[in-house]
Amino acid sequence: MKTSTFFILIGFLLLAPSSSTAEILRDKDCGSCHRLSVAETEKNFAAPDLHFAGDKFQPAWLKQFLKNPAVIRPAVTVIDTPPRPPVTVADANTAVVTAAGFLRERSGNSPPHPSFSEQDASALADGLMGLKISAPPRESTVAAPLSKRQRAKIKYKFERTFSCISCHQSLNLAGKVRGGISGPSLVNAGNRLRADWIVSWLKTPEAYAAKSRMPRYEMDSVTRNQFSQFLMTLKKENVK
Amino acid sequence: MKTSVTNMKKSCGNLFAAITALAVLAWGIGCGQSREEQATAPPPAQQEAEKVRPRKLESARVTENTRQTYQWYCAQCHGAEGKGDGVNAKFLTVPPRDHTKVAYLETRTDAQLFDAIKFGGLAVGRAPCMPAWGHTLDDDAIRSLVQYIRELCQCEAL
Ligand code: HEC
Ligand code: HEC
Ligand code: HEC
Repeated sequence: MKTSTFFILIGFLLLAPSSSTAEILRDKDCGSCHRLSVAETEKNFAAPDLHFAGDKFQPAWLKQFLKNPAVIRPAVTVIDTPPRPPVTVADANTAVVTAAGFLRERSGNSPPHPSFSEQDASALADGLMGLKISAPPRESTVAAPLSKRQRAKIKYKFERTFSCISCHQSLNLAGKVRGGISGPSLVNAGNRLRADWIVSWLKTPEAYAAKSRMPRYEMDSVTRNQFSQFLMTLKKENVK
Repeated sequence: MKTSVTNMKKSCGNLFAAITALAVLAWGIGCGQSREEQATAPPPAQQEAEKVRPRKLESARVTENTRQTYQWYCAQCHGAEGKGDGVNAKFLTVPPRDHTKVAYLETRTDAQLFDAIKFGGLAVGRAPCMPAWGHTLDDDAIRSLVQYIRELCQCEAL
């Protein structure tokens, strides 16, 4: 790392988030695996970026996750640049976890994600919700819920026209989990992600990931919003 | 519908592209579903695809960059060595094409492979499980991937 960048980084860490909520993230060493600020571009992180957690997640889900972590990326393909510790929140018994680290031939024998008490989880979730980036302007999200016909159409696009299901788990009409595992599971997207963030991700993925394994799509704003609305209907309590 | 799926299954690995095309179009289900669920298929949406016209593809070179591109994007389904065994493979209704399989790849022209990559499986009468990469990769990158697939199969179009 260049010294100048080093000092900028240190400066950033000292100056920027001074609240106790940001400190707790540092205390608990979340930054050893996760990127917590845009300024940290030097390191390859083993785990998903959290520097825009406040833009991306629903607070209740964050808290729940920190109390009781569950697998989101069955194949853990987040960042595939070595050296990378073999980490996953997976309990190693989950069948799909054998696919973990697929390009590095790593098996899913990894330590579990740190978990926390009610109180600590709350404080951490608050801290995470404070992490935001100056994201591109959000599109206004359509308010009216999808009609039955619209839902069938967008589901069709999810499964065929745009091949989303090839890489993402979702739910079929019978409430069964279906789909590929190289992308984060979307089975609980409706509890986990913010609707406007999904739209923003589909429009400008580069604002959140310098390089992603997901194809870029060119779609109109209506389609983007319908994808978001469709994903918001996917909730793990609907799994049968 | 049941019969078209059976056709689909049989015709997947053989030469009758036209039959496959029809079967795929008639087959209204997505990629992550099991065969039994297809009765609930919604009506076909309009396709954004372009027509596949016979033409000759400019040749391209395979570079380190091509290999990395393949590892980064394609390996998640086609596998690190192109054998069709990437992490997503067992979750797809139609398996990712084995890019080392001479018998099949000899039957496809470079232009056909190019179109499959650029516009996706659906656009060339193949399964929708193969995404379109035309907004992710430029034409040069796609041409070099076609060449790379020719390297993997050690074969040319007949
Ligand atoms: C040993 C490395 C490691 C440490 C330390 C760690 N995490 Fe994680 N974390 C991971 C990995 C790997 C995932 C991805 C799991 C998955 O997708 O299945 C993850 C996922 C998450 C997610 C979900 C993110 C998303 O995009 O889905 C949150 C939120 C999170 N961690 C918060 C934290 C917090 C807060 C801390 C500090 C208390 C922390 N993590 C410490 C490795 C770590
Ligand atoms: C070739 C595989 C692939 C396809 C096809 C694909 N995605 Fe993704 N998707 C990914 C990967 C990999 C990520 C993780 C991106 C990252 O963080 O770099 C992702 C991330 C996402 C996310 C954010 C999830 C999260 O928790 O971070 C959403 C939402 C999403 N995709 C929706 C879609 C939709 C909608 C489609 C179809 C229009 C689609 N994806 C098609 C691979 C894919
Ligand atoms: C989400 C999974 C997935 C990803 C990622 C993917 N493919 Fe495919 N691909 C498939 C599937 C499934 C098929 C088989 C389609 C069929 O036989 O109907 C296929 C078929 C193909 C074919 C053969 C088309 C034909 O004429 O039969 C080529 C060529 C191809 N893929 C190239 C690529 C390249 C290059 C990449 C990376 C840029 C890539 N694929 C990424 C799933 C994927």
